[in-house]
Amino acid sequence: MEKIRQIVTQGGDGGGVPCAGLVDGSKRNFLRGAGLVAAGAMLPHLNLAAAQDKQAMPGSGHKVVVVIVGGVRRAETFSREGLENIPHIVSDLFPRSVFYPHARNEGVTAHFNAISSILTGNWQRVDDWGKLAPTSPTLFEQFRKDLHVGSSDAWIVASNKALTSQIGASSASGYGPAYGANVVFPKQLMLQAVVDAMRSGRSANMADRAKVEAELETALEGSNYEGLGWNIFDAAEQLDPRVAGSIKAAIAGFVQNDGPTSGDELTFFMTREIMRKFAPGLLVVAFSDVEAAHFGSYAMHVAGIRTIDRLSAQLWQEVEANPDYRGKTTLVILPEFGRDPDGSSTNGFFNHRANADSTRDTWMLALGAAVDRPQVIERPIQHVDLCPTLTALLGAKPLETQGHSLSELRG
Amino acid sequence: MNTQTAFPEEVQQALRKNLPTRLPLTFQPFVNQQLREWEYLFPNERRSVQRLLVYAASLNAEQFDLLFAEVRGLEDQMGVRNWQFSTSEQTIQNSSLLARSPYFQQWRQAVQTVFDAADRYAQQTNDSEGAKRRRLVLLDLPKQLPVKQATAWNRWQGIGKVQPLTFPDLAPAFDAAQFLLWGDAGSSGDWAGGLMQAGAARAGDAGAEAWVIDAAASLTGSAWKNAARPPVPILLSYGRLDAYRENFSREMNTMRKDLTDADAVYDHLRSVDVAPWCPPEVAAQPAIREFIRSLYLSGNGAVIFGNSFVEWGASEALRRARPALLAARFDVRPRPKPFTGVAVFENPDLVNPLPSVPDVTGSALDAQVLALYVWLAAARYEEYRQQTVCVCLAESLSEAYIIAPEEFSLPGAEHPMPIGELRASLLRWMA
Repeated sequence: MEKIRQIVTQGGDGGGVPCAGLVDGSKRNFLRGAGLVAAGAMLPHLNLAAAQDKQAMPGSGHKVVVVIVGGVRRAETFSREGLENIPHIVSDLFPRSVFYPHARNEGVTAHFNAISSILTGNWQRVDDWGKLAPTSPTLFEQFRKDLHVGSSDAWIVASNKALTSQIGASSASGYGPAYGANVVFPKQLMLQAVVDAMRSGRSANMADRAKVEAELETALEGSNYEGLGWNIFDAAEQLDPRVAGSIKAAIAGFVQNDGPTSGDELTFFMTREIMRKFAPGLLVVAFSDVEAAHFGSYAMHVAGIRTIDRLSAQLWQEVEANPDYRGKTTLVILPEFGRDPDGSSTNGFFNHRANADSTRDTWMLALGAAVDRPQVIERPIQHVDLCPTLTALLGAKPLETQGHSLSELRG
Repeated sequence: MNTQTAFPEEVQQALRKNLPTRLPLTFQPFVNQQLREWEYLFPNERRSVQRLLVYAASLNAEQFDLLFAEVRGLEDQMGVRNWQFSTSEQTIQNSSLLARSPYFQQWRQAVQTVFDAADRYAQQTNDSEGAKRRRLVLLDLPKQLPVKQATAWNRWQGIGKVQPLTFPDLAPAFDAAQFLLWGDAGSSGDWAGGLMQAGAARAGDAGAEAWVIDAAASLTGSAWKNAARPPVPILLSYGRLDAYRENFSREMNTMRKDLTDADAVYDHLRSVDVAPWCPPEVAAQPAIREFIRSLYLSGNGAVIFGNSFVEWGASEALRRARPALLAARFDVRPRPKPFTGVAVFENPDLVNPLPSVPDVTGSALDAQVLALYVWLAAARYEEYRQQTVCVCLAESLSEAYIIAPEEFSLPGAEHPMPIGELRASLLRWMA
């Protein structure tokens, strides 16, 4: 604990771990990703085309990107042993961030309720399976309704299978889907492609990178895309043509990049395309490779943490490289919850049901435009504090919620 | 529910008093399900239900109300009566409703208090020989799992001692765990002198006292040669359960695509006939068939990875059966395949024709964590806290990590010890 305290304190003083010292197994992919980001930013035709779909900056002009990570314990992240799993966060992001070492989930530690609580500022206790929408207005709805923001300005892109399109808008009166977010589940697309390929006797295609792209596109176009759980613009049977090109570009980037092929990787590519095409003012990304823990593979869980670490840094690279985001964006990263402690009756890291600090006490990191100076805030905060904070950053009037605005983050 | 004649007399008396219907609503699904599945319960589980019912039946009306007052109060606050709450069995819907209640943690605590009271009553009225028996947990990280010497036992946080081993007694093509567990192969091909023969023999008629859970089939395979002859331990092999697992998984996936209601999926899987999918050692024992069904239904990766099957199977065996001897062996799992790694519920070989590549390093890390978890699962129960030796073999290091009470002594500890001496010490412990 002393070591992590030391590193955390280093960040709080404005110092940081030198990026040049960063060398790890995923560096090659990270650099490739960063290269792609830079290349993308230099392609004028891409930005020119994208400009047509972007709206003028509403409200404060401040943009927000929230990365919600599946369940990760402090033990595997911000602890002496865990730091090696998050080298990019520690070296690249932490030194410029406001870091909250204790961000608590005091609600239901299941996926849909946890993310709903973060997005509404109220502890949600709805159906775990996502059959019911959150009961109070989401950040998306508050942002869009108060500032009269169009539907292309609020998105959620998620790998998490436990989410449904209900995550985009609440059942609160006066709000609802008319003010909700566009919802995209890239991993579901991948699963659908696998199922379709198997059903049609084309599973051999899944072993051939060149053919995987076609399988993914077939899954996207072959049937009602709402079957994937997506909800984009005015729901219709066919994917909105404004989005189709971006989705295909994301699929191509994902398949052709010769890198890792997990659900979170596809989610990242999809997110980046949405940023380039629509530059939404409010974008939420939910990563979930870490949930391999439910199947009992500790190694795959830790690999998932490392993937999230790398993709979070790549996302920040995109924010800094993309003129629609550079200098006016706050990026926030937090886990939904931790995982159960070793030796618990709920089988330790496999699950997230225990009423224990290991499960409830997580962390949060914010960097970018809302951060005056890097610092560590030892005061415990709650997950529901994020929504009112971000509502204010976006320039909308925060509703009364169970959460309280975080004074360290200002527009 | 089964006919009451299947129950012990004390349970029948409680049933004649309609005790289950007098219990708080949130107790009823558990008790009713246990009673309905009585023939599939292990002796330890039957004792647990029996203790609760006998204790509750022994109370007068005032004491009865007092025992359940907190639970009933919380049920009122939670509004359980207004829920769609099954009282006949534990369902996903029930769990979901309970878990998202703000009173969930208080309710869990209150339920535990009731069970603790029943356990105390049982200890006062019966002898508690079971808690005093000597026990052994043997965990094996076989040679194919490379463990780093410097960090091998860090996760155990000094609760035991490292014991270097030598293998002069080991026959070629035979590994340390097989030697400890099954003994030596005689000229007739029979095996003798192993811990399992001693443990299973000691178990007598109690049943479910000796378990071997294997991520492949190498440890249980050794036993199979002698399995026709009693006493037979419970043998669970991930490898030998391929047909059960794959058929079960297929049913699970088919249902998932057709039904949105998870409880409907589980209802179907609870009743599907699994006997044709079982290897003979499982098919012959209904309680074990049902144990595996329940293992697969409760997730935790038991359908996905051999090592998860071992850990979760061992943890559930410890919780439900409290065996005197439990052996668990881990193995190597394949690496997730490109693109199709997300479809973990499917058989990866069906989904993607690329050949499987073993993930040796990842499997070794998984196994190290999961081996510790098996011991931590045991240590949750009184029966294992005082009178249990736990041996975790890291065969690639020629080491064992041993947790033992003071009365278990090893000759020449800390110096390399021949595996035969370790076996002799463990046999004396279990005698």
